[in-house]
Amino acid sequence: MFGALDTSTSALVANRIRMETVAANVANANTAVDENGENNPFRRRIALLSSGDPATGKATGVHVQEIALDQAPFRLRYEPDNKLADENGYVKYPNINSIYEQVNALEISRAYEANIQAAEATKAMMQSALRLLA
Amino acid sequence: MISEMFQSGAMPVLERLAQFTGARHAVIADNIANLSTPYFRPKDLSVEKFQRQLRKAVDARRATATPTAGALNLSDTREFRFEEDRLDATPETLDENILFHDRNNRDLERIMQDLAENTLAHNATMELLKNELDLLKTAIREQL
Repeated sequence: MFGALDTSTSALVANRIRMETVAANVANANTAVDENGENNPFRRRIALLSSGDPATGKATGVHVQEIALDQAPFRLRYEPDNKLADENGYVKYPNINSIYEQVNALEISRAYEANIQAAEATKAMMQSALRLLA
Repeated sequence: MISEMFQSGAMPVLERLAQFTGARHAVIADNIANLSTPYFRPKDLSVEKFQRQLRKAVDARRATATPTAGALNLSDTREFRFEEDRLDATPETLDENILFHDRNNRDLERIMQDLAENTLAHNATMELLKNELDLLKTAIREQL
């Protein structure tokens, strides 16, 4: 039964990492300039989940397999007066839609809650089993 | 002699039930952990199939010279292998719900219901097992 707690914990970790990518996406929703001052916008990050937990080496549980970059095209905004504008007057902005990110954040926090619930159930079961010793 | 003390009455039945709820809990926790994993298919252990084997074993024990004492002999199935002191179970993949776009056919409400049911069953089993052990303890102490 201790294995069940490992499973729930792996999911909590995976969902926290997903939430971190969402937070990074929201924070950088308008980041158009890279560290060199070029018009190279932030690319949306996606955490890809896969079942199994390499941390414990078990087939149960879940982990973030990869943080992939969204290859969708950047948003172009017509700002001819912006010094970053290309020859046609367009500036590239990140391919991030903050509404999608909000929805993903909601889904992630519900998944996190479900795993907390499962961990609480595991704890209750272990506690009742340990009461046999008392 | 001392081991027979734990092989009488409801005790072997409760022991098997606790092993089953423990194994099923691990499966349900895995389903919850993989709620948003693409291509994941939820699994479960069949309560009906387990109870059928348990019922057969209890009925077989009832037919012997000592209807309420003695070890239970549960026969293995494709899903359950009853070892002497543990239960090896192979969960079955569920195909109940529609497939979502991420190729996962999760059914959140059903999973959470299974979790609650299984936890309650486990806690009730433990409570009954504790009562049995308390009775033994009282008998050993020879005082109420």
